[in-house]
Amino acid sequence: MRQAFIGAMAALTAALVVSSLAVAQTAQSQNKQARSPWVYYPLDTIVGDGGPAPKRDLSGTWAGPGSTDAIPRGAPAEKPSFTSLGQQTMSQRKPIGRFGPAGTNDPTARYCDPLGFPLNFIYQNRAMSVATMPNRIVFLLQFGGFWREVWTDGRALPTKVGGEDRDSLDPTYMGYSVGHWEDDYNFVVDTTGLDERTWVLRDGTPHSVMAHVQERFTRVDHNTMKVSMTLDDPKMFTKSFSLGTYYYRWIPNQKINEWLCVPSETLKYLQEQGDPAGSYPDAQPQRLGGGGRGR
Amino acid sequence: MKTRVRAFVPLIGGLLALGAPASAHHGDAAYSAKAMEMKSCVVTEFSWMNPHSLIKFDYKTQAGEVQHWTMEIGSPPSMALLGWSRTTLRAGDVITAFVYQAKSGVLVGRTNKVILADGTVLADRDDSTPSRYGTETPQK
Repeated sequence: MRQAFIGAMAALTAALVVSSLAVAQTAQSQNKQARSPWVYYPLDTIVGDGGPAPKRDLSGTWAGPGSTDAIPRGAPAEKPSFTSLGQQTMSQRKPIGRFGPAGTNDPTARYCDPLGFPLNFIYQNRAMSVATMPNRIVFLLQFGGFWREVWTDGRALPTKVGGEDRDSLDPTYMGYSVGHWEDDYNFVVDTTGLDERTWVLRDGTPHSVMAHVQERFTRVDHNTMKVSMTLDDPKMFTKSFSLGTYYYRWIPNQKINEWLCVPSETLKYLQEQGDPAGSYPDAQPQRLGGGGRGR
Repeated sequence: MKTRVRAFVPLIGGLLALGAPASAHHGDAAYSAKAMEMKSCVVTEFSWMNPHSLIKFDYKTQAGEVQHWTMEIGSPPSMALLGWSRTTLRAGDVITAFVYQAKSGVLVGRTNKVILADGTVLADRDDSTPSRYGTETPQK
């Protein structure tokens, strides 16, 4: 009798665990409209932790900062300490937050140039997919439709990028990245060889081609991923500093929508709206619109 | 959908009255901080695009002059969170526009909100979410 009772309790416990896991991975929908498998619904956010994190696996499709308020708060980038070259370069930058679309020299805002890494993991990375291949992990970004390869085959980072030597590699918008699993849940990525035309932060913070970015991806649980980033670039900064910490959450239907910066649309926007409105860099900053959440 | 949005009209109106904090994505310093109301505007074009969508409309002043306006709202992913879509507006639609006009005096502006012919209110901003991020911080 006692054994039967224990067996029944074990079965009940197992059933409760299974059902709670099912609930934990259920999407929280904020309206009752019919759903298409071809559409990403950012307001359909995942509930709970979804159970333990899988080992050595970041694969899946993730909602990032700014997509909805369901994304946990991270930490912003630290204020860097510039070298004289860094300060001089910074003084030439006209960020859009102060100068507006008409007065900025932000290459993405004016020309639709790629944000490049690491800015594309700091700004507007509202959704991305992560795919694991035998010798690399590939990040597929929603904004701009860019991809980024992180090699896991044990190769070393290049030491000559952007120089005059014939064997010097070309700088790239995504840089050159290698990664390794520090343990079952922490994936560490090192990147260098970044194109100097890109800005590190939206305020115009510069970097040199041999800047070194280190990322730590932590698979917190099945439904949560955390990314902490640091930047080391002695040419521009007197010491390394944090680029911030960012959280990602599992997207219930694993679908993200296309979101591109289209040059002809940017040109239309600037010609018909942004430029006629003018630039007032010394005016008090204000926010009048731009939507909700990530804007 | 429109019924659901309408239910939030008082909330949105109240939130819009709270004023604007000092942070900006695209920098809104080019625009007046006070929204002007223009009734019976006729939409001539709606461009659902990046970086910001544009609404073009004609507005007839009390003096009888027809003005050709352009006003922006946020990017499609941001505006979709507030109930906007590619098919929200069509040429010929009659709307009431609340616009922060450019300080330069040209007929462009930043949208505060629009009221559609059926009474649906669509805002350009959601002050109920003042942060880019949520408040939850999971522990590891």
